Amino acid sequence: MPIGYYFILSGLLFTVGLFGVMIRRNAIVLFMCVELMLNAVNLTLAAAARMWMGPDGQVFVFFVIVVAAAEVVVGLALIVNLYFRRGTLDIDVPSLLRR
Amino acid sequence: MAVLIQGVLGFSATPETVLFIVTAVLALGSALAVVMLRNVVHAALMLVVNLLAIAGLFLGLQSPFLSIIQVLVYGGAIMVLFLFVIMLLGVDRDDLLVTDTTTRVLALAGAAVLSGAILFTFVGPYTSAASLCGTDAGAPTEISDVRCYGLDRAYDRTDGSGAAFLGGALFSRYTYPFELSAVLLTVATIGAVLLARRRDRETSDDDLDDSTTVPADDAREL
Repeated sequence: MPIGYYFILSGLLFTVGLFGVMIRRNAIVLFMCVELMLNAVNLTLAAAARMWMGPDGQVFVFFVIVVAAAEVVVGLALIVNLYFRRGTLDIDVPSLLRR
Repeated sequence: MAVLIQGVLGFSATPETVLFIVTAVLALGSALAVVMLRNVVHAALMLVVNLLAIAGLFLGLQSPFLSIIQVLVYGGAIMVLFLFVIMLLGVDRDDLLVTDTTTRVLALAGAAVLSGAILFTFVGPYTSAASLCGTDAGAPTEISDVRCYGLDRAYDRTDGSGAAFLGGALFSRYTYPFELSAVLLTVATIGAVLLARRRDRETSDDDLDDSTTVPADDAREL
């Protein structure tokens, strides 16, 4: 399989995730779309690691997964906090900082 | 199917090609489903399909360790966390899509431009038969070389399997980032525990409306 098809696929996945971030307003779904984008980048890194036959790309994927796990833990805690404070997950409602 | 692939793409179909096509269709379809489905639980389950498809793509890229990590960490831990929060908050039925037409058109146009740019960049040298993976194409000569060499010879160099190959780099050259990631995980865990702790008195945004100054105990809690 030519390596470019992996790049194209991951680019399209990234685009779909970005599209989701733009059109969804639910904070949890927004988070899932960010995960989609992170996975697309992971795919790019793994494909590049295979292309240049080095371990570095795979190590980066490993670190991205670690950071994504930490990010999800903190982000979901924030979302739970937000929901208890505001009673909604709509990210378009006027925020506290804007007042 | 092999003949079809040969005819359409112009190179011989290997098992990797078949794996790529199946998992790519799965990944793209489930990604679109995550974005489009209104039920949050359905979107989360589609995200699981997407993550497993990407694990299959990692297998096709000869990264078995990453594939296992993807299934365990993403498909297991992270998705359980997502579903747990969805169930805890009971928000599985709300559908907060942007209904503003201008925003939707702008989002669609932006996505189209981005994917067009990506296709314009990569269709061509990187998708020709010259950049096929797994062939013994010799040593890389220049940085702009678009051929794919595969990991076979790298495996030979380190005398290891996928996990040993990754671990060798992780624990030698990338030891410092590895230790830092341990610190990061600890900080994230402590932060999540502090953030998710239920307080004795419920504080809401409405409490802040009454006075411009935040009370001292609230400030400490925030």
